[in-house]
Amino acid sequence: MIPLGLLSTGEHGEIVEIRIAPSSASCCEKTKCDCRIEDLGLRIGKTVQMLNNGSPVLLKVDESRIAVDRSMAMKILIKEAGR
Amino acid sequence: MNAQSAVKEQEPANRHGNLRPVEQRVLTIAVAGNPNAGKSTLINAIAGSRLHVGNWPGVTVEKKEASFEYQGTKIRLVDLPGTYSLSPYTQEEIIARDYLVEERPDLILNVVDATNLERNLYLTVQLMELGIPVVMALNIYDEAQAKGYRIDVAQMEKMLGIPVVPTSATKKTGLDQLLQVAVSGEKSPQLAVPHQLNYGEDIEAAAEFIAGNLRTSAPALLERYPSRWLLLKLIEGDAEVRKATNLTEETLLPEALHHLRRAHGEDLEAVLAEVRYSLATGLTREVLKKPELPRTEVTEKIDRIVLHRVFGIPIFLAAMWIMFKLTFDVSKPLADWISSMIAGPFKHWAEALLGLIHAPEWTVSLATDGVIAGTGNVLVFVPMIFAMMFFITFLEGSGYMARAAFVMDRAMHAIGLHGKSFIPMLLGFGCNVPAIYATRTLENPRDKALTALLVPLMSCGARLPVYVVFIGAFFPKNGGTVLWSLYVMGIVLAIVMGFIFKKTLFRGDAPMFIMELPPYRVPSFKSLMIHTWEKGKHFLVKAGTYILAVSIMVWFLLNLPWGVEHKRDSYLGQVGAAVAPALSPLGFGSWEASSSLIAGLVAKEIVVGTMGEIYVKKAEEKKAEKPTFAQDLQTAGSGLVKALGESVNNVTSTFGVSSLSTDEDAEKLAERTPLREELKKQFTPLAAYAFITFVLLYMPCVVAAVAMVHEFGTWKWYGIAFGYQMVLAWSMALLVYQGGKLLGFGG
Repeated sequence: MIPLGLLSTGEHGEIVEIRIAPSSASCCEKTKCDCRIEDLGLRIGKTVQMLNNGSPVLLKVDESRIAVDRSMAMKILIKEAGR
Repeated sequence: MNAQSAVKEQEPANRHGNLRPVEQRVLTIAVAGNPNAGKSTLINAIAGSRLHVGNWPGVTVEKKEASFEYQGTKIRLVDLPGTYSLSPYTQEEIIARDYLVEERPDLILNVVDATNLERNLYLTVQLMELGIPVVMALNIYDEAQAKGYRIDVAQMEKMLGIPVVPTSATKKTGLDQLLQVAVSGEKSPQLAVPHQLNYGEDIEAAAEFIAGNLRTSAPALLERYPSRWLLLKLIEGDAEVRKATNLTEETLLPEALHHLRRAHGEDLEAVLAEVRYSLATGLTREVLKKPELPRTEVTEKIDRIVLHRVFGIPIFLAAMWIMFKLTFDVSKPLADWISSMIAGPFKHWAEALLGLIHAPEWTVSLATDGVIAGTGNVLVFVPMIFAMMFFITFLEGSGYMARAAFVMDRAMHAIGLHGKSFIPMLLGFGCNVPAIYATRTLENPRDKALTALLVPLMSCGARLPVYVVFIGAFFPKNGGTVLWSLYVMGIVLAIVMGFIFKKTLFRGDAPMFIMELPPYRVPSFKSLMIHTWEKGKHFLVKAGTYILAVSIMVWFLLNLPWGVEHKRDSYLGQVGAAVAPALSPLGFGSWEASSSLIAGLVAKEIVVGTMGEIYVKKAEEKKAEKPTFAQDLQTAGSGLVKALGESVNNVTSTFGVSSLSTDEDAEKLAERTPLREELKKQFTPLAAYAFITFVLLYMPCVVAAVAMVHEFGTWKWYGIAFGYQMVLAWSMALLVYQGGKLLGFGG
C-alpha cells in the first residue's frame, strides 16, 4: 500500500483505503460535509491512474479526469499495479 | 453484486403514475443529470429560444424552463441543477431532490454521459428510487461510439425498466425520438416506470420493517413522499428527511437499524452509497463493452501540454491575452457604431420629438443629458461585454476553464484559496456581478466568502471608461502602461488582502481541492450563443434599470433646488462639497470630483457621465456669461454626448495601444474633447492617477452589492467589503499622491 500521491505519472493502482475522515476532510465544515470524493468515483476498489503528479494531482478514474489536492492524494492508499 | 440478479421484476409502484385525464394537461418533465453530461446543450437543442431563465425560489441557482407543444402534447421542461447524487449536501442537490419529491414531475428525463456510464448511472439509480417515470437520454453517444464503446441499449432498457434513447445534443441526433418516447410515455406511463432495484436482503428487510411500522403509526407520510425513497432515506439517516418527517431513530426504527449496523458498520449512509454504486457498476459491466486497448485520447494529449508544469502558466497567460485582445478587437466597430448612434440621431430625435410636443425645456434636458447620455454611456459597453462573455463561455464550454483553475491552483494557495476560486476572479474582469454569482461553484462557505471579498479588486469593464477619460487627458503617450498598471494594482492588492484575510478573518488551512476536468469538446454554436446571452443579460438589465434610474436621479440632484444657477449649489454639489475636504489629501478635494465619485457609488461608469455634466457645463458657463437654462442645456447636452461618445471610442483603442500599438490609436487617445480639456485644468497628472486609483478601489457598485447580499443572504460580507475597500482606496490614493509629491512628480 502506498499513498496515491506517490505514484508517478502514468502509473496506476487500486484504491484500498481512503483516510479522509468525514469530519476533517476537504470540503467539510464541522460535521456538515460537501465532499464529492465518492460521488466523483474515488472509491475503494477503483482503479486510478496518475495522469500528472504535480500540484494539484491529476487522476483518471473511469473515464473522468479528477484534480485533487496533493494532501488529499496522500490520504488515499492504493495497491500498486505498475504502469 | 451481479446486476442481472439485482434487478427484481417487481410490480412497479404506480402511485405516482398519471391517473389524471390525458387531454388538456401539461406534461411536466424534469431534466436531471450529472454536470458535464451535456444537459444544457440538450435542453438548448430541444427548447432553444423558448427557454426561460429564472432563479429557484430563495436561492440564486439558475432555473431554466421551457413550455412548448410537441405532437399535440403540451410540455413543460424544467431543468434541474447538475448533480452527481441526490444527497442533501450541496445547494444543487437539495434543489433537485426537493423539486422531485415535492413537485413530483410527470416524467424525469435523465441525461446520461455515455462515455462515463458508471458514474452517471449512480445518479440514475437514485432517480429510480423516486417511483417517477424516467426516460434516459444516453447522451454524447457519438463520442462513445467514436471511442469504440459498445453499449447494449436494449439490455439497459430491460434491466432498468425505462426507455433509453441514444442522443447527441451537439449533433442534434436522437432528440426527436427522445421527445417521442417522452410523449408516448405520457399516454401509457407504465412503460417508463423504473424497476425497483434490489438493494440486498438486509436493507430490503429493514425497509419492509420500517414500512410496516409507518403504515400503522404515520400512514400520511407514506402518501406524502415517494415511499421507497422515504424508507431508504430514513435508513440512511438523512438529516433533512428526519427533520421533515419528525421521526427519530429512537421512536421508530431502532431494531431494524441496529441489525443493519451490526452487519455493515456504523455509517449507514456509506452503506447505501456503496450499494447504489455497486448497482451502477454492475449495470455498466452488463451493458458496456470497451475496446481492448484504448487509444491515447485527444484530451490527454492536449492536457499533457496545457497542464505542463513549466508551460502551463505561460500558455494560460497567452490564452488570456488572446481573449482580451479578441474581445476588444471584435467589439470596437460595434461600440463605435452605437456611440455614433447615441451621439447623433438618438439625441436629435429626442430633441425634435420633445420640441414637437412643446415639452418644457427641462424635460428636453432630462431626456438628453439624463436619460440618453447616462444610459447611452453604458450601452456602448454592451458589445464589449457580450464579446467577453462569448469568449468566457467558449473557454467554459471547451473545457479549458477547468484547466485554468488547475494551473492557477498553486498560486491561489498563497492567498488561502485554491484553483477553483480563480474562475470567479477571472470573470470579475468582465463584470463583478456575474463573478460574485459564480462563487456558488465553490462548495465551502469560507472559500465562497473570501473569493467574493476579493472579486471587487478585479478591475471590471465599468471602470474602464473612467480610466480612459483620464488617460486620454493626462497620459496619452503611455496609455497602455498606465492602464496595465491599474489592472496589476488590483491583482497585487487582491493578493495582499487575501493574505491579510487569511491571517485574520479566515484562519485555518485552505480546504482541499477536488474538481472534475471535463474532456475537451467543441461547443456548439447555438449553446455558445444562448449561454453568452444569459451571461450578458445581467448587463443589459443593469443598463436598462439601475443606470437609467441613476442617470435621472443625478440629473435631478444636479438641477435641484429648482432653478439652481451654478452646479455647486445643487444638492449633489452640496454633498460633494461637504465630502471634499476628506479627499483633499489625495489631490482631488474639489466638490466636482467628490460629487462624481458619489454618483459613481451606484455604478462606476457613472463617474464619467457625471463629470461630463459638471465639468463641461461649467466650461460652457464661463464662455456665455449668463446662459438661459435652455442654452445651457443644449450646448452642454451636445458637448457631453459628443465627449462621451469619443471617450468610449477610446476604450477600445486604448486596449489597442496596450496590446498592439498603432499610430492611429495613439492619435485617438490624444484627441481633445471638452471634458478632457476641462479635466486638464482641474487635475495635475499625479492627482489624476490618484483619482483613478481611488475609482479602481472604492467600494463595489450597488449592483455588485445586491449580488453579494443576494448570494450570501446576509449583509455581513458586503459590509466588510465596503469597509475594507473604502479604507484601501483612501490609503492607496494617499500613497500615490503624497508619495508621488515626495518623489518630485509635482503636486
